[in-house]
Amino acid sequence: MSTRAILTSRFFVVPAIAIATLIAWNLYVAAHAHGEVSGKVVRADGAPARGATVILYERNLTSHFLEKTRTTTDAAGEFRFKDNRSHQIRLDTIGPDGRQGQPRILRLWFAAQDVDLRRPLVVSPSKN
Amino acid sequence: MRRRSHILRHLVMALVCALMLIPFYWVAKTAVTNENIYAYPPRILPLKPHLYNFVDVWYLIPFARYFANSVIVSLIAVAGNIVFNAAAGYALTKNFAGKRIVVLLFLSCMLIPFQATIIPAYLVSARLGVLNSYLGLALPLLSTIVCIFVFKAAFEAIPASLQQAARIDGLGELRILFRIMLPLAKPAIATNIILSFIWSWNAFLWPLIITRDVTMQTLPLGLARFLAYVEDTTGALYAFVCMVLLPGIIVFLMAQKEFIRGLTSGATKG
Amino acid sequence: MNTAPPQRAGVAGSADAVAPPVRAADWYRRKRTREAMLVACFLLPSLMIFFLYRILPLGWNVILSFEYWSPLKAARFAGLDNYAEMFLEDDVFWQALTNTLIFILASPIAILLALAVALAVNSDLKGAAIYRTIIFLSYPLMSVAVGIVWRWLYDERGGFINFVLRGTGLIKEPIPFLQSFGWALPSVILADIWQVVGFYMIILLTGLQSIPQHLYEAARIDGAPASARFLRITLPMLRPSLFICAVIGILNSFTAFDLVYVMTGGGPAHATELLVTHIYNMGFGETRFDYAAALTVVQFTLLVILTFLANRAVGGNAGSVESA
Repeated sequence: MSTRAILTSRFFVVPAIAIATLIAWNLYVAAHAHGEVSGKVVRADGAPARGATVILYERNLTSHFLEKTRTTTDAAGEFRFKDNRSHQIRLDTIGPDGRQGQPRILRLWFAAQDVDLRRPLVVSPSKN
Repeated sequence: MRRRSHILRHLVMALVCALMLIPFYWVAKTAVTNENIYAYPPRILPLKPHLYNFVDVWYLIPFARYFANSVIVSLIAVAGNIVFNAAAGYALTKNFAGKRIVVLLFLSCMLIPFQATIIPAYLVSARLGVLNSYLGLALPLLSTIVCIFVFKAAFEAIPASLQQAARIDGLGELRILFRIMLPLAKPAIATNIILSFIWSWNAFLWPLIITRDVTMQTLPLGLARFLAYVEDTTGALYAFVCMVLLPGIIVFLMAQKEFIRGLTSGATKG
Repeated sequence: MNTAPPQRAGVAGSADAVAPPVRAADWYRRKRTREAMLVACFLLPSLMIFFLYRILPLGWNVILSFEYWSPLKAARFAGLDNYAEMFLEDDVFWQALTNTLIFILASPIAILLALAVALAVNSDLKGAAIYRTIIFLSYPLMSVAVGIVWRWLYDERGGFINFVLRGTGLIKEPIPFLQSFGWALPSVILADIWQVVGFYMIILLTGLQSIPQHLYEAARIDGAPASARFLRITLPMLRPSLFICAVIGILNSFTAFDLVYVMTGGGPAHATELLVTHIYNMGFGETRFDYAAALTVVQFTLLVILTFLANRAVGGNAGSVESA
């Protein structure tokens, strides 16, 4: 059997693809697993909510969410967590006026995946 | 007339195949289901399918550990099978005193199902000190009688003149085996690999008996453990089942011909 | 294999014509001992493994079954006590024995199904290879996973079977298949048939393909109808294959451990207890190795008897006993 025949046989190609995928996936994970969760909090009218509190909950094995850490938004309404270690988190918001926003559950592809929320969190979701 | 009977047969076969495939579909569907899987009536198509159940499984159980254990045990078993079975198969092509007895012994061993030996086999392993180890997991699987006969048949199909020519050239028995016999017995090797892989990969009862630590458990044990200990209403268990079944299905589809040849030659020729 | 000693000596002699005959004989003897050594070395590992994990256990089982023995106690001769307990006091044993026999007796159903499928696939039907692959696909899969798959199919709320039965109006209330005393064993048997039917089909297909075509042609010329061709040619020629299927069916009562363990754990109330699960529970659940060994001896005897009966049933060509 020639080298060429071995390299093109399915017994080589399929495991090779599997291993290559595995390596590529692990490299991707290694490059994107800093635990950074960032996003923006806005008010119901769309204006950035400054000074809102954002609470990060991590899901544990018994499917309860436990508070991990909290932070406040800056002038542009943006926030950033740097130490998420979970693959399933919940973000709660409390506006500067003390009103709670809609919590959001995020499911990640791997633990500590870096995420940037595309849709901003909204405090005081009730339209007024 | 003939055409119509063909159509009828296609219809029947399609129905049979559908019955054979429904369990796979149902589990795959549950594995990607988003909502509560116990809701009645269940949906035939999941509402918002997603793959996060697989992520949950990965972090809920030491999947990588189970997988690695399974791979290690299977590798040991496959390697042992190729070496020992090829050697024994080659030896059986020779004429020697007591050959009939050895063949008879092998054939009668074939009738002893492994499940009927578990109690003493456990005690033997305990005496050997290989409980709860990779070697202990793989030891009873290291040689398979069916595969010995597959090798024997393959070697016997090789023209004797080739061996004699090699002997005249001054090649020793070992060299003849490695340079001439094994390269010509590739189908037998392939059959051997696939059979021993599938058997060690699927083995459940033996690992169940012989392992004590979670760190030594293989995938089937992991599945049984998950079933017994983890309560959840998401599709995580079924995602796990898919992750376990998929490698087996891929290997089977890749080496279907060799697998079936091994099984039928083992079952019909003896 | 054509390696008769005189011939080989002749080959060696002709290749080495100058050597005196005495040296040649000496060389030949040494070569023989070397070959014997080689054969011994080559056979030894496999023989060791089969000795340790097949033959020795078989004998050990018999010895253990006549003893009081547990890992912590010294062995004491027990005579027939273990067997007496089994036959006279152990209700679970009788339940397990009945279930094992039902399990084995259900295998002809699977074999008949497989025969029908094999006959349909074994022809010039287009796409036969695809059908064959799909039907065989379930056999090489991990039976623990298959058990979980079927457990889920039988589920009261999320399961497919109850869903279909209720959806078509056949039943009003869901049936808890694996939790009900009457349904549990048939349910496990159905799952087992699903997994193993492909294997029977492959065995029978190999048998069908080895039937010489000229037999059918001759029968057709004689004007024999299809049913007669099947009964007079196909079935008799398939005997060896059918026997192998029967043996696989008998052995299956051992290998079904995985399915039962995962699907029901032997329950409810031992409704799905097989001898093999009872052996496991006695040996490793209650550490009664002596009693479990006695159970094993009974099951193995049962296996040998049934295999013998199956052999007689298909016309007693004892030659294929070795094929199991």
